[in-house]
Amino acid sequence: MNYLDAGLKAWIRSPFAKACGWSLIHFLWEGVLIALMLAAVLFLCRRASARLRYAVACLALLAMPLALAITVVVSAPGRQPAPRLSPVDVTDAGSLAAVNGAAPAAQLGLKTILPSLPLLWMAGVLIFYVRSAGGWILTRRLRCAGVSAASGDWQARLDGLRRRLRISKPVVLLESCLVDVPVIMGFLRPVVLVPMGLLAGLPADQLESILIHELAHIRRWDYVVNLLQNLVEGLLFYHPAVWWVSGQVRAERENCCDDVVVNLKGDARGYAAALATLEQNRWPAHEAALAATGGSLMKRIRRLLQEPESHRASSAPVFVAALVLTSVGVAVANWQVQPAEPPRPALPMVAPSAVVTTQDMAPVSHVTEQTPARRPVQVVAQTAPPQDPAAARFAAQVSEFERTRQEKAVRGELNTPYQHWLHEDVAYIISDQERTAFQALTTDEEREHFIEQFWLRRDPTPGTPENEMREEHYRRIAYVNQHFSPGSGLPGWKTDRGRIYIVYGPPDEIESHPTGGTYRRPAEEGGGTIDAVPFEQWRYRWIQNVGENVIIEFVDPTRNGEYRMTTDPNEKDASAQAALLNGQGKTGTTVQVMSTAAPNGKAVMISIPLGSYGGHSVAVMSTITTSTRRPVQNFERTVPAGAPLFTHFIQLAPGSYRLNVVLKDTVTKAVNSDQIVFEVK
Amino acid sequence: MSSKAPDPPRPTDAELEILTVLWSRGPSTVREVHETIAVRKPTQYTTILKLLQIMAEKGLVRRDEKQRAHVYEASQPCEWTQRQLAGDLLQRAFSGSAKSLMLGALSAKKVSKEELAELRKFLDEYEKGAK
Repeated sequence: MNYLDAGLKAWIRSPFAKACGWSLIHFLWEGVLIALMLAAVLFLCRRASARLRYAVACLALLAMPLALAITVVVSAPGRQPAPRLSPVDVTDAGSLAAVNGAAPAAQLGLKTILPSLPLLWMAGVLIFYVRSAGGWILTRRLRCAGVSAASGDWQARLDGLRRRLRISKPVVLLESCLVDVPVIMGFLRPVVLVPMGLLAGLPADQLESILIHELAHIRRWDYVVNLLQNLVEGLLFYHPAVWWVSGQVRAERENCCDDVVVNLKGDARGYAAALATLEQNRWPAHEAALAATGGSLMKRIRRLLQEPESHRASSAPVFVAALVLTSVGVAVANWQVQPAEPPRPALPMVAPSAVVTTQDMAPVSHVTEQTPARRPVQVVAQTAPPQDPAAARFAAQVSEFERTRQEKAVRGELNTPYQHWLHEDVAYIISDQERTAFQALTTDEEREHFIEQFWLRRDPTPGTPENEMREEHYRRIAYVNQHFSPGSGLPGWKTDRGRIYIVYGPPDEIESHPTGGTYRRPAEEGGGTIDAVPFEQWRYRWIQNVGENVIIEFVDPTRNGEYRMTTDPNEKDASAQAALLNGQGKTGTTVQVMSTAAPNGKAVMISIPLGSYGGHSVAVMSTITTSTRRPVQNFERTVPAGAPLFTHFIQLAPGSYRLNVVLKDTVTKAVNSDQIVFEVK
Repeated sequence: MSSKAPDPPRPTDAELEILTVLWSRGPSTVREVHETIAVRKPTQYTTILKLLQIMAEKGLVRRDEKQRAHVYEASQPCEWTQRQLAGDLLQRAFSGSAKSLMLGALSAKKVSKEELAELRKFLDEYEKGAK
């Protein structure tokens, strides 16, 4: 015991202990400085995405222990301007008073407690770490005590969501009687714990959004980050700025996960309601209300509902963050070069350096807006995963440059890249609303931003730098241009096969008859053997919003490689094709364009002979579309028995059209169909 | 032993697991309990049976003997166990820091009743505004 006591005393007198003590005191203003910097950046980036804000907050938190470490190293005995060989108390205090020019009495007070500061600090750190370790053991226990496996149904649903979020690790869903809100824990074998009865008690849709939030934590490695965060908190426990910064990290982390939910499910309101319900479910149990806790949930819900979509995913220059953090580093380094100063003069430094950063920022972001390389950099700002900013950002930047290059190669060079993008790149997948919105844009900058947002909305995994949807889309375009371009010089993406491939992806099965020839028709198409023109059948097991087992047929009646999509299984019949080309289908349907000019173009008479149906009434269903398959008119009539002919008049503007007719005998239920391509001049 | 013992002892971890299944599924047969637990870790049917018999003696579960397959049900609600376990020393000392180590859609601290009411009001108003 004596030995230990002596050792401690010797340590307290050592110059290193003094350096540590001073570092701890200096960290008081360093911490404030970093926190103020963070506050400034967060204020400037208040419209930026949560991901960026989270990354900045994480960096600031990381800067805190680094600042302390640097201070210790710099003020360690070897680096001190005048190292003292014999640490005699009186001379020490005197020299410090001389250097600092502060009141000797205060110096003396500080001097007496200074050597024991590191010890006090270590004791505090020890307490915090023991507490954390105990908490950790407790959470380990939670995952095996009082839990039961969730029903297979929900586990399967969680697995489905997990795959959508591209988490490769298996995630186990457990019901626990010991937690009162859904939580995750573990990072090698993560589990999601939900309170008992929640799976049955909450609407499936709302529960799903909560589970997505939990899975987002898993995908973003938040559990590990949170552990490290706890370590930093424990290490610098005595500084309120550390707790504030840590709180910012927590808040932005939840916002990031909220964004993942909204991006994936698109229903901010439903999700907000789910959060509120969940919070309410905690109540009836027991316990009176604790003090209000700053209303973080209220803030989150307000953010979810009131912020326009653009805030959630909008990009902000990553330079702002980099610049401000670098200036923090420079400020600290600058200070370190000078001999140790007392803490007092440090605070005024904050104001000038903050001014400098804001001044610096404006020109930089201005310049980048005009640089051609702006786009890749901006995308990086949105997609860099916050956990390991430097490395990931670099990797993302490299891959982004490559992608842009590939995209350019696919698209070729054009004078109006934006028109090209609209009418070619995304012509099939852009919605009408988006098209209108894009055409209303006036500046290239807005268009660039729109394109970014367009892909971001479609990114299946919004947190990662890759946008799988965009990559797949451009792959499809490249594929169809290579494989489906007919001899006529029409690019592959403009053909019917190209369009279907781009929109629905590669089919699950292709039955190809490139030379046509004899084809044994399946019974549901009429059976028998026909002499077929070249045709292909594509089978999709599942198309969203269309259905299961979708078969799409393409025929090539002109045998030039330009397959057309058809809905009529008879069209591959070569004999029917001959009739079709004459403008008269096998049902005898004729289309006659009148010579008289009508106000909207020309009058067209469609006549269908019904004599062969004898005394039966016939249902006539018909569709007229343009050559691009835009429907012009649908009509449906039931022609009473005995009518020899059905006629229909329609006014059509000049152009080429396609008429599909289906005739159904209402008595025998026999169906006959026809397709005629005609042109109005 | 009477199953109406006023205050059954605190369940062990293994018993707690079975209780959790019973709370989650409602009254269940031994086979059902075993099936649910076996999903997570390999367990013998007889182990579960024996545990349930012991728990019935302790008064943690009730046995309904009317049917041929015995149906067990938890005798205490879930909240009771939470209170029991909250008395655990480890739990008391470290639950605060354990909460800061877990991540979830909601923070570890409850919001106050006032805030909850405000939240509801806000959502309702938003709903009206949307319509």
